[in-house]
Amino acid sequence: MVNSIRIKDSGSVLYKRTKGEKVIYAIIFAFFALYTALMVFPFIWLFISSFKSSYNYLEDIDHFRVMALPTKWMFENYAKAFVELEHDGTNLFGMFFNSIWYTAVVVIEGVFFSACTGYSLSKYKFKCKNLIYTVAVVSMTIPVVGTLPASFRLSAALRIYDTPLQPIVTCAGGFGFNFLIMYAFFKNMPWSYAEAVFMDGGNDFIAFFKVMLPMAVGPIVTLSIIASISCWNDYTSIILFMPSYQTVASGLYFVQLTMFEKFPTIYYAALFISMIPVIVVFAIFSEQIMKNMSVGGLKG
Amino acid sequence: MENQETFLPIEKKKLQPNNFLNKQKTRKGQKIFLVCMLAIPIVNWLVFWLYVNLSSILLAFQIDIAGEMQWSLQNFETFWQHLTDKGNQLNISLKNTMLYFLSSALITMPLSLLVSYFLSKKILGYKFFRIVFYLPCIITPIILTSVYSQVLHPDGPLGILFSKINPNYPMNGPLRIHGSIVPTLTIIVYTVLTGIGGDMLIFSGAMSRIPTEVFESAKLDGCGPFREVVTIVVPLILSTISTKVVLLISGIFSASGPIMLLVTGEYQTSTIAFWIYNIVQEEGDYNLVATAGLCFTLVLIPLIILVRAVMDKISDVEY
Repeated sequence: MVNSIRIKDSGSVLYKRTKGEKVIYAIIFAFFALYTALMVFPFIWLFISSFKSSYNYLEDIDHFRVMALPTKWMFENYAKAFVELEHDGTNLFGMFFNSIWYTAVVVIEGVFFSACTGYSLSKYKFKCKNLIYTVAVVSMTIPVVGTLPASFRLSAALRIYDTPLQPIVTCAGGFGFNFLIMYAFFKNMPWSYAEAVFMDGGNDFIAFFKVMLPMAVGPIVTLSIIASISCWNDYTSIILFMPSYQTVASGLYFVQLTMFEKFPTIYYAALFISMIPVIVVFAIFSEQIMKNMSVGGLKG
Repeated sequence: MENQETFLPIEKKKLQPNNFLNKQKTRKGQKIFLVCMLAIPIVNWLVFWLYVNLSSILLAFQIDIAGEMQWSLQNFETFWQHLTDKGNQLNISLKNTMLYFLSSALITMPLSLLVSYFLSKKILGYKFFRIVFYLPCIITPIILTSVYSQVLHPDGPLGILFSKINPNYPMNGPLRIHGSIVPTLTIIVYTVLTGIGGDMLIFSGAMSRIPTEVFESAKLDGCGPFREVVTIVVPLILSTISTKVVLLISGIFSASGPIMLLVTGEYQTSTIAFWIYNIVQEEGDYNLVATAGLCFTLVLIPLIILVRAVMDKISDVEY
């Protein structure tokens, strides 16, 4: 609080810069601007190219004018991206659909079960409480390498491999990073709220679902946003465990391998389209993400 | 802690006969509640963590002879042979993994720290730059890798420029050269450029907790920006840096990076994580992967304990 008040104070000694400092800041600004150019310029090129016909695109490459505007703006590239590009029968519509349900399942399950475990272990006393907490933390810190073959075999044995059950079953664990955040949050929440529910004749379920969980909406939303972005961008798990349910992140990888040569500009249009949801989410929640991030995740 | 005790410690109180039944009911209700809340996560952990890990350890000691699994230590011998055989995929993957780790620890992390510092000092356009630096962390990797490889391709905007400057510019771009370190270095440049944002948020969070008075008094004493970073910021956020280092080491063999998307692991760019992933995807030698995993885990655990102990000792700062 004190920090934020001070930072807003433009008259602070911190923002009065000497000549030498001004030079340093100018150089750093130039580096930042260069980085921005490096990051933004390829997307401008991508945007321009996505409106060209394949012929126009290749002709411009031959004449070394890749940044030239299209001779004719091919807006239909964006419509074609949804139908022409596909992998194993899944087009961009299908990929978006898979991305949405996959992200929803993983995020809802992951955050919900973390809230359950975090609440139970922080607010109740029972026999194996310390054991469960210790095991949860230790299993998080042990860097296990090479268990992918065993996971793969288990999925096949459970017959969840390449089915929607794969994320539903595997993501129902309530431990891990989300657990620590929810545990810390509930630990600091007064128990008197639950006591009020019990006095009114309510039970533990009512206390949790109607009082405690709604009060944890802040960390739940932030965890959900972070988990959504990482889940939306996940391609390795999909390619390995759910090859018939390609999402945008994994499906476009195969489209690039198989169809890029044939439809380069339509592929660029698809890339641009697939950026939109993440950018929109980021635009809406950027302040929340930026403010709440700390070491390895969220501020406690 | 005291909050929960107001309601829960039932057994120590002498219960009155008339509310005994109510208390019994409450305790039973709590038990049912806890079972409902914890049963699925615990079963999930037992199956997908404990069983998977135990099964992976057992795989390392098994060998497939004519379709029959037999106990053997041969996997360890094979692993060692592959690891020490120059030119073997495992050997190359280990070298590349170390290169990526070093680039993250020695280039990306210090750069992120500097970027965070200047953004926290409200450099001109800091709000805009903060978003630009963070964007690569949220954009789907396939978009970034597609754009990066096409821009550097001799047909792409930068590729054309580089081809004009250097007539020997590779005809398939710097990512597709056989028997050269250039593809790996090009991937490292990519990881540095796109990796600054993730660390930046972490360091910014830590820097925001440093009391402003510390910076003010340093400023009044004539401390310049770089000296401020070295003598004030780094020591005060050392616990964050140490956590970051530990996380970096923990993930050393698990982070596959953009190798698959950029070059599908070809051109000698593979890492250990990608090597594991690729073998599983191609249904190769699972026993060898499990053995490699076990060996790398056994190396990592003491290393992390040691690094954590050292970092905890030097980063014990309170403010």
